[in-house]
Amino acid sequence: MKKTALIVLMLVLASLVLLPFLWTTATSFKPLTEVNKHPPEWFSPNMSFEPYRDMFFYLPFSDYTANSLVVAGAATVLTLVMGSLAGFAFARFTFPGKRLVLLVLLLSQMLPGASVIIPLFQLVTAAGLYDTLVGLILVHTAIMLPFVIWLLYGFFSGIPREVEDAALIDGCSRVSALWRVILPLALPGLGATALFAFLGSWNEFFFSLLLTTSDTARTIPVGIGLFVGEYQDVWNQMSAAAVLFSIPPLLLFLLVRKTFVKGLAAGALQ
Amino acid sequence: MKRSTPYLLLAPALLFTGFILLFPLVQNLLNSLMHMTLGRGGTSWSGLENYSRVLSDGLFWLAFRNTVAYAVAGTVAALLLGLGFAVVLNARIGKFTDIMAFFYSIPWVVSPVVAGFAWKWLLNDSFGIFNEWLTSWGIVREDVNWLGDPRTALLCVAVARIWQFYPFAMVMFLAGLQCIPQEQYEAAEVDGATALRKFFHITIPNLRYVTAVLLLLGVIWSFNDFNMVFVMTRGGPINSSMVLPVLVREYSFVYFDVGKGSALSILVFAMLFLLSFLYLRVLTRSDAA
Repeated sequence: MKKTALIVLMLVLASLVLLPFLWTTATSFKPLTEVNKHPPEWFSPNMSFEPYRDMFFYLPFSDYTANSLVVAGAATVLTLVMGSLAGFAFARFTFPGKRLVLLVLLLSQMLPGASVIIPLFQLVTAAGLYDTLVGLILVHTAIMLPFVIWLLYGFFSGIPREVEDAALIDGCSRVSALWRVILPLALPGLGATALFAFLGSWNEFFFSLLLTTSDTARTIPVGIGLFVGEYQDVWNQMSAAAVLFSIPPLLLFLLVRKTFVKGLAAGALQ
Repeated sequence: MKRSTPYLLLAPALLFTGFILLFPLVQNLLNSLMHMTLGRGGTSWSGLENYSRVLSDGLFWLAFRNTVAYAVAGTVAALLLGLGFAVVLNARIGKFTDIMAFFYSIPWVVSPVVAGFAWKWLLNDSFGIFNEWLTSWGIVREDVNWLGDPRTALLCVAVARIWQFYPFAMVMFLAGLQCIPQEQYEAAEVDGATALRKFFHITIPNLRYVTAVLLLLGVIWSFNDFNMVFVMTRGGPINSSMVLPVLVREYSFVYFDVGKGSALSILVFAMLFLLSFLYLRVLTRSDAA
């Protein structure tokens, strides 16, 4: 009895929480005539995938999607390469200034984007990277690095030192020990971190908005954020874009949950 | 060779982040003290003139009040909501709870831009389903223009923000709840405590640390939040939902008054630095305990 009440309560909460998305999803399948209907209705007999096709055809979302994939992919790789070197250094060495650097990295995660955007805009423009994918890749990498270093610092610290010492005795250098022994062990952690980094770049809006101006460099969130103001009349196509854009984060979130469990299990087994 | 190894490993990441984040911050501090144009940078020193122009601007104080309300009230509400969800999920009835936990987390996982978009469409005055419900249930007589009315715009953005942040609080509170030693509850039951008393005398005190961390993180993040406000209202109508990060963009890239924008962004940085400092103190004190 009590269990049934709880299940009902949980389901009611779920539908309340998901309401904005359910409404957007319903809209994404409707023809424009039924979207602009008063009073509005949840369903229409003419629902189809047409808005999904149209937004690639009439709106520049094929460009935006390609841009988003390139930026997020490249930024993830760059962040992971630099982040794992730094994370390893923090996990395995004691050196003067270590605590201070870690603290500065923690603080820089809270740095307001607004407090660097103007000089960054000038810097990026002076380097000829305004409104380019390269510019976005570099900026995304920089803003995600502090968080990624902290994550990897945690993962590397969880790997027993003995494993690495054994490799050192066998004649490996510190760096080749990192490459051959630590990295494979840290793979679940690296995987989870890569997903976080990808998601961070995929969703990033503030810098992407202010450092681009044309469709050659705009990413999907910029497209959605700007169209809300500019093309109010194609809500069905915009909804379709919003739904499609949300699928990778949702899939990745499911994956990350699993990877975390796996990572924990792997750590416990050693 | 050996002593320099950690520094060599750190160098790429630190130089990179330093160049793209810290160098602009310092540059910004200098900019805020100069006569500025967006294209050519600083032309001559101006002392504190930019700051006094910001502080004497009524719009700044409006945005400041809005930001504080948005960040503080929004975070408190999101924490209460997150705690409620965590208590419900803590009942743990098998795999079903995990699936629900996933659904409840969705607002936190999708992009803030999509979240803002979805709310804007839900609240649309003539084509959104929310007004349709209110009118058909007789709560309001005619459609309300939620985001177009200066009295309700900020409130609506705050609701969307609360909805986006509560899952984070929920996850943290749930972890906190599961760490409370069961013996405390058992001992209370022996003494005949009611469920309500147990909640206020055992659950709440045990969650004190998580709450402090969440409160500070929530206020810091919401103080910084540009996305939700920009997507839903762009600070309007008539600046009624203007917040500080959006105002920085407004000053610099709409009015092209870069000096004023720089001064404001340094003020925002100073406020957040203070909050971050508090946050670190909470974090480190708990490590010692």
